[in-house]
Amino acid sequence: MFLFEYQAKAMMREQGIPVLEGIVATSEQRALDAARELGEGPWVIKAQIHAGGRAEGRVGGSEDLRGIEFSNTVLGVGQTAARMLGKSLVTPQTTRQGETINAVYIEPEIRSELQVFLAILIDGERGEPVCLASVKGGSQVERDIFDDPKNLVRVPLGATNQVALSVGHEVASQLGLPSSSIGAFAELVQQLHGLFVARDLSLIEINPLAIRSNGSLVALDARVTVDDNALYRQPAMGALASRRDQSGAEERAAKNGFNFIRLDGNVGTLSSGAGLAMATLDAITHLGGRPANFLDVPPVLEVSRIKEAFLLVLSDPGIKSLIVNVFGAGIMRCDTIADGLLLAHLEQTVSIPLVMRLAGTNAPLALSRLERSGLDIQFAPNLASGAQMVIDAADSPPAPRQTDSIVGRLTQWFTWTKEGPRS
Amino acid sequence: MSILVDESTRVICQGITGRQGTFHCERALASGTQIVGGVRQGKGGTSHLGVPVFDMVAEAIEVTQANASVIFVPPANAAEAIIEAADAGIALVVCVTERIPVLDMVRVRAHLKESSTVLVGPNSPGLAVPGVGTLGIMPQGIFLPGAVGIVSRSSTLTYEAVDQTTRNGLGQSACIGIGADPVGGISVSQSLQLFMNDDQTQGVVLIGEVGGRAEENAAEFLSTLSSYKPVVAYIAGQTVPEGRRMGHAGTIVHYGLGTARTKIEALQDAGVRVVSSPMEIGSVMAESLGR
Repeated sequence: MFLFEYQAKAMMREQGIPVLEGIVATSEQRALDAARELGEGPWVIKAQIHAGGRAEGRVGGSEDLRGIEFSNTVLGVGQTAARMLGKSLVTPQTTRQGETINAVYIEPEIRSELQVFLAILIDGERGEPVCLASVKGGSQVERDIFDDPKNLVRVPLGATNQVALSVGHEVASQLGLPSSSIGAFAELVQQLHGLFVARDLSLIEINPLAIRSNGSLVALDARVTVDDNALYRQPAMGALASRRDQSGAEERAAKNGFNFIRLDGNVGTLSSGAGLAMATLDAITHLGGRPANFLDVPPVLEVSRIKEAFLLVLSDPGIKSLIVNVFGAGIMRCDTIADGLLLAHLEQTVSIPLVMRLAGTNAPLALSRLERSGLDIQFAPNLASGAQMVIDAADSPPAPRQTDSIVGRLTQWFTWTKEGPRS
Repeated sequence: MSILVDESTRVICQGITGRQGTFHCERALASGTQIVGGVRQGKGGTSHLGVPVFDMVAEAIEVTQANASVIFVPPANAAEAIIEAADAGIALVVCVTERIPVLDMVRVRAHLKESSTVLVGPNSPGLAVPGVGTLGIMPQGIFLPGAVGIVSRSSTLTYEAVDQTTRNGLGQSACIGIGADPVGGISVSQSLQLFMNDDQTQGVVLIGEVGGRAEENAAEFLSTLSSYKPVVAYIAGQTVPEGRRMGHAGTIVHYGLGTARTKIEALQDAGVRVVSSPMEIGSVMAESLGR
């Protein structure tokens, strides 16, 4: 779970980490007031979304408005906020539709010679948190580090609940920080690690961290990701999650426990298991198709959850065909998938062509139910042919279909579920 | 011979009385896996699925001589269950439980450094040795005893590789799902090493995923060998946008490290045949083995 910058900074402020006074604004008026309350300019106006890359992002398709803007006048702060709010921000880390800006965060602008990138995250290979840092902080840090990995300082933090100040000294000395800043920097590393452990984070990042000429530090941006698996023991984080801004579809998905991401294409997908779901996307893309979404439905017994999954994918008006790629295993059975589709069809007529690749537990039972459903379904023996079929189906114009009454379809469904498999 | 599991493997299940534990142990027993007992605190002295249930792993070992455990307990207690099994001396622990907080696994990893226990998982479909036994949730009926070792970071994609190597007659020596969590037990490299040392295994399928450095490390490991059995790899998530999350925490692509491109290049440099489509895994493996 990704926190907004202002939420991450509030958490840091509580821990005693140096962040600027800032104000969240959801209207032009509030933005104007905020600029006045924060004193003399210049100010920085920052779009609050759940993705990085804001400084390179474009707001509402305009060429001259980025996700992070500066202003020297109070009036300018208000105007910039007004141009951002309600618009969509597209960054290298969002979809092409971007994310809607519901709030902006206003802070005084700080200039500093030295801008550091500093993060703590889990190093999966070592099985422990690691501190990453670079003196090439700022919006280009990812590219700089990728081009020249030597710029990146990497210090493992172990399985402890509190790291020693010497760890921060080690990072600072590898970075070559000015000696006037080293004490504060070491304390900062300890504080960030403290938050990381106490709040079950999977990432805490300050980029950039400004180091001013007197050696004092201030976090100019903050990025925090909470470990979703630990939300059950982090009620405060859970409360932030419930207020988070999501598109309607993603919220529906989260409510049902699905992993769902809307993409830009016209081929809908539904799979069980993140790996198989990714492979489905890869297969479609490999053959020249364009997936409309990623959907990983966790193994479930309830037909109603599968129905929700189908309705979720079908809610995208842009999809022209849909592939279902499920390997029945564990508690996930193929007949549950079939019944879920039939229930979804009752609620909302499914008129696009479907390709079903069902294998594993109860696949024959599922096929026999679907064969008699009257739906436009092709059955694929494997992923290769399924991916080709669904791309072809998306490209060809839909055949005119007759819509039957809800009662007719209901009767049909009861027949299917009662009859069971054909021998 | 195969890896990790053989005729002498005696399995207990921690969390045997739960819905998942019951379902999968029943199937494993039916397919001939030697499940000799279960553990569920508060149900010691009863029996379930025809095997005795104990309060503690240590008691279960004393009575049944178990040397392996498969764990189905809920995420909040799973880390303790792994530590209990390791401390009691279980040699092989397979943890199926998903959604364990990552910092709990950091603690487990630190604990296992002092121990000889091999951990598979968590968030793993487990381990299957066709003809011998299944520890975990892999489906029955898709395996064929044979020549290919499969190591995978992705549960469902594992079955895809099994299915393809069964259909083309190669079969599997063993299939190990190392689990999709960022911090887990046995690594891809360690699994490869087991397969390289195993007589029955003639070739290995490696199913990777964007994120982390498991595939880069595997490539490094293979480069240290003077020669090795053919390895065919597929990396899932080649179309994942950077910085976005697709289901697994392990697929967050941080700071340009661990993209599909870096993994594919590293593996190719080490001499691995990387297929660009998941549909080619079986056929390219067959070709590599001259079948």
